[in-house]
Amino acid sequence: MTEFEDQDGIVVVRIGTERLDAAAAPAFKKALQENITDQPHLVILDVSSVQFLDSTGLGVFVSLLKMMGVPGVIGIVGAQAAVRRLLQITQLDRIFRLFDNISDATAALRSS
Amino acid sequence: MPPRPCAPPEATITVAAKLEEVRRLTDCVRAFAEAHDSGQDALIDLELAVAEAANNIVIHGYDGTPGEITLHLARQPEGLRIELLDSGAPIPAAVFDHTSPAPDGAESGRGMAIIFACVDELAYESADGINRLKLLKRQP
Repeated sequence: MTEFEDQDGIVVVRIGTERLDAAAAPAFKKALQENITDQPHLVILDVSSVQFLDSTGLGVFVSLLKMMGVPGVIGIVGAQAAVRRLLQITQLDRIFRLFDNISDATAALRSS
Repeated sequence: MPPRPCAPPEATITVAAKLEEVRRLTDCVRAFAEAHDSGQDALIDLELAVAEAANNIVIHGYDGTPGEITLHLARQPEGLRIELLDSGAPIPAAVFDHTSPAPDGAESGRGMAIIFACVDELAYESADGINRLKLLKRQP
């Protein structure tokens, strides 16, 4: 279950699944396509529930960046060790900014 | 660190070649590695390597046709040895050149580089219709 919330222009996406893998990624991508429709510039992905992420799930994060307005910025909140490891291996931790909580992410993205 | 007294030295599981079944493989490698006192970092790498390898087998090897994937795990003195066996299309040799991270904007194509990053040794052979991906994660 993925939840969407607009916080004064920043879209917060709360990913409810524990495992965002190749089996779950298509439904997640569909939810994004149905709910991210007006090309927001700032999105926060709350992944605090996600215990496992594979490259297919990560690929949906990249596709989200393409759905957003240019220049789009994605902040990732609550990344557990497995998520951080994948971002580090793929070097996408240079693209997606990591934060401990939504208030930190909101403040940083607004000032970016 | 020696393995726990009751930890099995080997384990094998076979699943249908479906993305929904990959979790059974990663659950198996996690349980096996935990039984052999692998650290948290190693558990993450092993689970990720097996998931990426199995995804590739399902998507590219079998490409929608029915099949099976067998995962064989063994604790040996040098570390945990992992074999993934399948009878789908073999991995083209050129794929093993993709060991560096994919371009930032790519939505796919990162699997093999991730596997390389997560293990210490990788070997691949295909003979008599069976493909074997052999991985080693060193462990003291």
